This record gives sequence, structure tokens and C-alpha cells, in this order.
Amino acid sequence: MAKRTRFLTVLLLAGLILSPLPGQQTVTVRVQVRDYADFTRLTLESSSRLDTRLTRTGGILEIHVDSPDSLRLRTAPVSSRLIRSVAWGRSDGRHVLSVVLRSSDFTYNAFTASRPFQLMVDFKEGEAAAPPPVRKEGAAPKSAAQPAVRPPSGVRTIVIDPGHGGIEPGAKGRFGTLEKDVTLPIALKLKAVIEKNLSFRVVMTRDKDMAVSLESRAALANNNDAMLFISIHANGSYKQSSHGSETFFLSLNASDEDVRRLAYFENTQAELEGHIAAQEEEQDVLRMILWDMAQSAYIRQSSRLAELIQAELNALLGTANRGIKQAPFKVLAEVACPAVLVEAAFLSNPDEERRLLNEEFQNNVALAIYQGLVNYIRLYPPEGGR
Amino acid sequence: MPRRRLLLLVVPGLTLCLAAFFFFFQNRGEAPRELKDISVPPETASAAGEDETRTVVLYFLSDQDGLLHPEQRTIPAGPAVEWEARRLIEELIKGSRTGLISPLPPESELRQVFMIRGGTAVVDFSKEFADRHPSGSTAEMTTIYCLVNSLTRNFSAIKQVFFLVNGNERETLNGHISLAKPFLPLRSLIAE
Ligand SMILES: [Zn+2]
Repeated sequence: MAKRTRFLTVLLLAGLILSPLPGQQTVTVRVQVRDYADFTRLTLESSSRLDTRLTRTGGILEIHVDSPDSLRLRTAPVSSRLIRSVAWGRSDGRHVLSVVLRSSDFTYNAFTASRPFQLMVDFKEGEAAAPPPVRKEGAAPKSAAQPAVRPPSGVRTIVIDPGHGGIEPGAKGRFGTLEKDVTLPIALKLKAVIEKNLSFRVVMTRDKDMAVSLESRAALANNNDAMLFISIHANGSYKQSSHGSETFFLSLNASDEDVRRLAYFENTQAELEGHIAAQEEEQDVLRMILWDMAQSAYIRQSSRLAELIQAELNALLGTANRGIKQAPFKVLAEVACPAVLVEAAFLSNPDEERRLLNEEFQNNVALAIYQGLVNYIRLYPPEGGR
Repeated sequence: MPRRRLLLLVVPGLTLCLAAFFFFFQNRGEAPRELKDISVPPETASAAGEDETRTVVLYFLSDQDGLLHPEQRTIPAGPAVEWEARRLIEELIKGSRTGLISPLPPESELRQVFMIRGGTAVVDFSKEFADRHPSGSTAEMTTIYCLVNSLTRNFSAIKQVFFLVNGNERETLNGHISLAKPFLPLRSLIAE
């Protein structure tokens, strides 16, 4: 508590000292590191735009940060597979974040998002000093920065999936609101705003109150060669006060056997094709096994889509930010394109139940998802890679 | 036409067999056994076990922080891990004594618990476990990891947990989280 008071005093003093200076404000910069299934992401977030420049020396990546504002630097404790430590320093009047890797054998990939400003740097083990990956004939889609499927010329499809429906109501609110009845209007609003502003085809997994199996939702995306899959839900918790928005992407909950299975199919693509030609029945079986792991090739892009959508949800909704998370959602597992599941707010929380029924709130959820999509499409334009 | 129809029958059949094969036996080249053949441990404690007890830690949900908090219980010590795991899950269904929330439908009945290879405990609930579940992503995650974290915390033989409902595999707990694969413990949901 004493710490908190001291912190508030410092804030107050800083505010008093800085307020007379025109054009100079104090901006908080937050750094956090998170491990995902096959990479580690460092996120540097700030409420205003920063100029960043990255330089690499051996096992250290330096991020030089330039800003007209005075910066307050925050770093969450780091415990990561790939990153040993991060520390702020100064060089040439600039703030420099030194990211020390556990090994100098790594590759990285950086990109930014706005509102709030975010610099995201993804680190991967190995492949050090390798030239940009050349796509070999029959190479597995492991370096899945680009979708494995070649985009056909013409309009791409976005699949919107309003959660639940028909005899399957999903979560229930205290006043009796059913999840299936709030996911549909949000999804329809999202469809409308995409069709109005972007040249994408939108396919809905349902457009009325009807039951659709989770398998056929994923199949609809795959059969339409979808570019993106967005599932819309409202959350439910045993804890009535749980509140806020979160965006999920798939966790593989990968046991060793899955990893081996996946590795097998990635490494023996040619072999697999031989089998496919050989026996019709076997072909279908193998395809099904591949489908049930389909999302695994898109985890990284899905996580970016989730980050970008979550950033907009925070900006637009004024709900608590529960961040992006991973969980083994059945509906995401079989989707063969970047796929996320948005939990707009908690139906099990009476306040949020009311908000979820409010048309303006529903509009804002749709707009936030739309804005996240637009930012994602800027990063990954559908035609011609990036 | 008839060929297509035959395919429709053969393909799911083959898929099931293959899935079962991968699930239970990985690539170790053993002959597949069916789930039914796995012997279920005796349900009665040995006579000697009557007054022997064991302290276990149960995880329940806190209404304060939304995390799983530990609570101690004494259960009768049993002849096998399956037997003790059964007592532990029954305590989880009965609920907390300190005002924490049990994220299991109180109507849930435990049908059986058995171990299969790879330290996987198979926990088979009555259909109320899923049908009476309130649904919702967060609620489903809480239910699953209350069980998985409690079981793996107390029994070193249990590395992961696979769920059955009424003796069958089930697609999701109640609309969200897939039950198709065993769950490893997830420490990030525990307050400690
Ligand atoms: Zn839902």
C-alpha cells in the first residue's frame, strides 16, 4: 500500500512538473514476453506512436526507441524458453531495449500495430543467418508465413461464425439471455460492415437460429478456401463477477504423439501423396487426420489476428482487457486458415449481459473486430504474399 | 453411387480404428486393444485400508481472483491410484468447505476412473457432467483444469487426464473446449 501511495505521489509530481511543457507528455511503454507453441513473442506497447529501429549483434537484439515524449518504461518479469532477459538502457539520447537471447542461433520477425501502438517481435530458435526461406517444391508449410494454399485470383472469403444456435444455446445469462441470441446479431453487423467497406466475400456459418455442428463450421471455411475465420461468442464463468473481453486462438494441447504425427506428415509430403494416389479409402482417412490438425499450420498468424482484434476491442468497448489466450477450441482445430474466437463480454455477469443486449455495444464489438481485421489484412494482403 | 455409400461407411470406421491406434499405442507397434478390455480396478478398499488416510489438495475456484485455490482434505488411503483418484473427484463434486466454488455440476456422477499407458487417467462421468454444465469458454476451462490440476498434483502416476462422458468420447464439454485429447496440467490457472 505504501508503495502504491508513493507511486501515486510520483505520478502527481510528474504531472505537475510536466504539465506546463507544451507538447511533452509522459508515455508509458510496456514490455512483455510470452512463449507460444513454436515461437516467443516480445510485445512493446505504448499509448502513442514510437519510432523503433532494430539491430542485432550475436545473441542480443537491440530495439532503439525514439519519441518526442518522455517515456516511462515498464517491463514485466521475463521467463521464457528463448529470451534470457530484457533491460532498458540509453544510447545517443535514445532509449534502447536490449533483448538477450539464450542462444545466438535464432531468427526474428518484427511488425507493428496501431491503437495502441505495438511493436511485436517474434523469435524462433535455429535457422540462424539463413536467407529468407526459399519455397521448395513439396516443402511443408512449416514456414507458414504465407498460406499454404495459393490464393486464387478474384475475391477472397472471410467466414464469420456466430457461436451456437438452435438446440445448442451456449452460455446463459442471469436474466435468461442465451449466448446464441447475442452472437448472431454481432456477426450480422460484422458481415454488413465488411461488405460495405472491403471487397471480400463473407460467408456465415449460420444466419438464423439453427443448429450447425462444429465440424461443418470448420468444413465451410475449408471448402470456401477461406482467408480468415472468425468465431463470435459471449463468455460464461462460474464466477459471477468475471468480466471483460478476450480473444482466443487455438492451443494444440499437444501431447508428444501429436507433435510426432504432425512432423511425420510434414516431412513426408511426397510419400503421403504417393499413398493418396494408391488407395482411395486410405486417402480419405489420411486427409481426415490432417484436417484435425489443420489449424496447427496457422497458429502464428492466428495469434497475430487475435492480438490485432483484441487491441481494437480494448480501444472501443471500455470492457476490461483479458488479453489474448490459447485454449483447445473444437471449432478452431480443423480450420485451415488463420482463425480466432472472440469472447465479446461475459453473459454470466449481469452488467455485461445488459451490455451484450444493447445494440450500440453490439455495433462496437463488430466495429472493433472489423478494425482488427483491416489491420491484419494490411499486414498480410491476400494477394502476392506481403 | 453404391461405391460412394460404401465409402461413407468404411471411411469413418477406418478413421476411428486409426484414431484409436494413434491415441493409445502411438508408433510402438503393439496390437490395438479396445477401450472396453481395459480392466477396471476393484471399487472396494482393502480391509486393511479402513483406518489409513491420506491428505490431498483439491483445487476450487475463488470468487475473488477467478483462479484455482488449494484446499486440503483427508481421504481414506486406497489400494491403487484409481481408487484414491475416485475419492478425490467425489470430494471435488461435494464442494468446498471454505466458501470456494466447485466448478462441477453437483448432479455429476463419477462412473469410473482408470489408468491407460503414458500416465493417462481416464475419468468417466455421467452425462450430467456435460449436460448440466453452464457452458461458456471460461467455465469449461475452469471445470477441466480443476480436475486435471487436482489429479496431477496429488498423484505422480497421473501425467494427463482424458475425459469420457457416459462411457463415450465427447466432442466438447458443453459447446467450446474440445475433449478429443488428454489434458496436461495448466499451472497458470492456479493461485499460489
Ligand atoms: Zn460460446
